Amino acid sequence: MKDLFFANVHTKEEISWNNLIEDILKTTTYSTFAHYSNYYQYFKHLIVSLLIDKPIILFDSDFTEHEINNLIKDSNLRNEIFCFNNFNIKSKNELIHKIVENNYKHWNIVLFTSGTTGLPKMVKHTYRTITRNVRVSEKHMNDIWGFAYNATHMAGIQVFFQALLNGNTMVQLYNLSPNDIKESILKYNITHISATPTFYNLNFSEDSIFYSVKSITTGGERLNEKIISKLKNIFPNAKIYNIYALTEAGSLLNSKDDKFVIYDPEKIKIENNVLYIHRSLLGDFNFCDEWYNTGDIVEIINNNPLTIRFIARDKELINVGGFKVNPYEVEDALKHINGIVDAVVYSKKSSVLGNIVCADVLCNINISEQEIRRELQKVLQEYKIPRIINFVKEIKLNRASKIQRL
Amino acid sequence: MEKQILEIINTVLSNRGKATINEIHSNMKLREDIGFDSLDLAELTVRIEAMFNIDIFEDGNVNTIGEILTKLSKK
Repeated sequence: MKDLFFANVHTKEEISWNNLIEDILKTTTYSTFAHYSNYYQYFKHLIVSLLIDKPIILFDSDFTEHEINNLIKDSNLRNEIFCFNNFNIKSKNELIHKIVENNYKHWNIVLFTSGTTGLPKMVKHTYRTITRNVRVSEKHMNDIWGFAYNATHMAGIQVFFQALLNGNTMVQLYNLSPNDIKESILKYNITHISATPTFYNLNFSEDSIFYSVKSITTGGERLNEKIISKLKNIFPNAKIYNIYALTEAGSLLNSKDDKFVIYDPEKIKIENNVLYIHRSLLGDFNFCDEWYNTGDIVEIINNNPLTIRFIARDKELINVGGFKVNPYEVEDALKHINGIVDAVVYSKKSSVLGNIVCADVLCNINISEQEIRRELQKVLQEYKIPRIINFVKEIKLNRASKIQRL
Repeated sequence: MEKQILEIINTVLSNRGKATINEIHSNMKLREDIGFDSLDLAELTVRIEAMFNIDIFEDGNVNTIGEILTKLSKK
């Protein structure tokens, strides 16, 4: 198990570090475009780009040619170039050493943010910015990662570098069924998982307990106490970390619950309850001002040290006749109702009030719309209660495994 | 059509825990007679649009059942 680089129980792939090295040594051409249906191909392409110090652009597996052409106008970037192979790498340690010690002059990575409307935004990172949060040490040498993010997104890339530079095994969990995920954790004794709260919520039930997992990281969406409690039951030996990260900057804050302490007020500040980050923390994406408005709305819990909790993203608030509704607050209220497994709250245009609040709910028992409303009326103001409640068989996720607000 | 509008109105009323009604007629006022507030009107509009594919408030306010029926009959 120690020499395994990548595994996927669904496709039955098991690729050792030696297999990876042989595969890299056979590589003779290189293209900046990385667009695959297979995670291992992305990982190998990334490693080759690092070894030859050439840029890489990561496209989601499900991007169409049309989307790719719209995103990148310069078709020359797609051309394959001859890559002279004189790596002389014989072992995993030599491979990692070469990656760490490389003096990067040309390498950069282009990612696309997971915007839900319009074209995804392009963000470029250097080796320094993309690996800023990687922790390499003796204690991480035997970590086994459950890879639960899209391989082409910031969160997935952060897991990739954390695992790569420590010589760890990566086991794909993303896009697998709950049964395959369970099998993967048990078969490979996965010790670390990083995923969105929705991923944990939809793929794990509290009747399964996984003792091998020592670290659970989550982020990308607001974490609530119900999910924290569920995670503690399912992974009793795990420390739970909540990360606040942006594609534009990588990980910025971490916490063991839903409250974050800001230790560096010169680089992260709050103004009018909105979180701003200093440009020195950002990758390269056509941004000129000194401070970047994240669009994330926070409440200040404590001033010394400055402690915040995320409330919502500004653009996600639903304006109902002048009253702002936070979809997360409504989702939390729905998820606390007995029988509701998951819920997504979104707006629908209304010529009467501008917008009205709607919800899709996933239930595991029979519960009526009236019963749901009665429960909500106990905890929410009337304008926050969804006017349309749809009972659905699955909650749709977007390309970053986050809840899709329609 | 009247029967479907009555059903929608009663869905909106019962969703708010209000008493349902047995019949509707043209000069019934949505606010004063049926007791709708703006949230109810918004829900009514969305439900009617889902069923008849027409936004009854699109070109101005609607006050009575008769006005709803007129807008739907013009479709």
